[in-house]
Amino acid sequence: MHVAPPNSISKRYTEKIDAWVLPLFEQNWQLFAPNPESVNQQISARTGRISKNGTSEVSRWVDLSAMDASAVRHSVFPSHTAQNMLRRAWTSYVQEHGGDDRSHSDRARMMKEYLRNIAANRIAGDRHGTFDTIQLRVVTKRIPPPAPGGSDSRPNGRVSHETRYLPWWKVATHGR
Amino acid sequence: MAGEQRSRVPHQSRQDAAPSRLRGVRQRVLDGLGSARAALTERPVSLYAAAVLRGGYGFLFLALLLREFPHRDEMWGPGSAWTPALSAELSDETGFSSILALSDSPLYFEACYALAVVVTALFMLGWRTRATSVAFAVIVASFHSRAIFMTDGGDNLLLLMALYLCLTACGRRWSLDARRTRLRAASAGTKSPRVPAQLGIVRRQTTTVLHNCAMFVIAVQVAFLYGSAGLYKVQGSFWNDGTALHYVLNLDLFRPWPALSHMMDQQTMFIAIAGYMAVLIQVGFPFVLFSKAKYVVLPMLLGMHLMIAVLLGLPFFSGAMIVADAVFLSDGFFTFLAGLWGRAGRSALASRQSGASAELPGSVVPAQYRADGVTVGPESSAVRGTSGQVSSP
Repeated sequence: MHVAPPNSISKRYTEKIDAWVLPLFEQNWQLFAPNPESVNQQISARTGRISKNGTSEVSRWVDLSAMDASAVRHSVFPSHTAQNMLRRAWTSYVQEHGGDDRSHSDRARMMKEYLRNIAANRIAGDRHGTFDTIQLRVVTKRIPPPAPGGSDSRPNGRVSHETRYLPWWKVATHGR
Repeated sequence: MAGEQRSRVPHQSRQDAAPSRLRGVRQRVLDGLGSARAALTERPVSLYAAAVLRGGYGFLFLALLLREFPHRDEMWGPGSAWTPALSAELSDETGFSSILALSDSPLYFEACYALAVVVTALFMLGWRTRATSVAFAVIVASFHSRAIFMTDGGDNLLLLMALYLCLTACGRRWSLDARRTRLRAASAGTKSPRVPAQLGIVRRQTTTVLHNCAMFVIAVQVAFLYGSAGLYKVQGSFWNDGTALHYVLNLDLFRPWPALSHMMDQQTMFIAIAGYMAVLIQVGFPFVLFSKAKYVVLPMLLGMHLMIAVLLGLPFFSGAMIVADAVFLSDGFFTFLAGLWGRAGRSALASRQSGASAELPGSVVPAQYRADGVTVGPESSAVRGTSGQVSSP
């Protein structure tokens, strides 16, 4: 019953089922289902700090997803840190927040912290220098459907992109 | 059970002619029950499959630990972006506990990591298997819960199997335990019973019942996995129109060999047929298990999983699935394989043949399950979240 979609039986017995299943026997086999992802997320981050003379400085964007993709490329056994970490942090963030960037639940706040920490750790590992705030930009690139006839399914430039800027977040302990 | 036996005795002394046919039926039912009971309590099933699961999952987790060694702090350590504080907060909510949560000290983490490597290796080799299998399950659960937002379907399956394997007699074949038993039996002639005979029987029957039930649970688990994975896909529009694999092949993070993925993507006919086959096989999987058709379906699934491992860069996930499929192969099949392996090994090592080399095939289980042609559905990882999230919307 645990793997079945919500139905009248599982709704009635959900507590009993969960008591047996969670947390150890939790499972979810929606592998590439019901549909595989049809977008690639390009997540970038930039940092900001207040310099000594009081002006604020903003760094250039760093493409975190490209770092992941290049770690995966030509790897026989890609790391979970490249394939799953940022990807799942972002999907979980979206799942908890929707289109709104305010965290309305504990879980949402936790996912926000997680995402922020990942970005801050990556930036701190990537370059030197301090920063107090960090901002993420997420470009969602739709994978074009296969070309009819199948001669060439290469994206022909007419790709729809969607860009979302997250608010600046304070980073207290990272990147110093 | 006691009732069955009591009723069987008086039945023989009675001589009524009228209900004799009825009695015959009853007798047959009772015999059936009796032999079912004997099978359940006396004959452990699929000991070789259990050994392959042990060796396979031990090998996979060891490979994961070693592969992620450079990233160990980032994934499971105190320096992880999923901080110990966040992890503790989530554990309070989900009830998941982890030995890694006991201390934030980097030293403690390194010790746990070393312990995990050692225990996993011993479990893979089948050393004191009952104890190491429990330790292995605790370790897998601990690492899983610490990095729950980094896991995928492969990790999920590994955790479930580690838990089920504790209950099986997975150390009886192809293990250091089996080797020790053999050597002891050879040197002492007969095994000296250390426990009273009565206790020995109870113990043997208990472990056999547990083993048989656990193997059944594992088989049901794998069948459910495929069945539900297939049924979820049936609802997807991309799987319906045969383009699902096109999207899969274009995901940046699951494209370690972009040229290869692109080449595959050009074969639209192949993409469509393979997509439909994947769904069909998965949905049908629970139903073919009871027939010889499984010997056709399992190699197909093996092929698909090998493609997933290479094309999508998901060897860990695919490996977990391939090992799981081994549960459906009989002891006869594995002994046949072992025979082939032994013969090949003997002819290759003919020069330096010795008594000890006969043990070798056992410890090389991972190579064996690779050769055996058992695999399953394709897929990647889309396990959504952690406990609370998945089950309570």
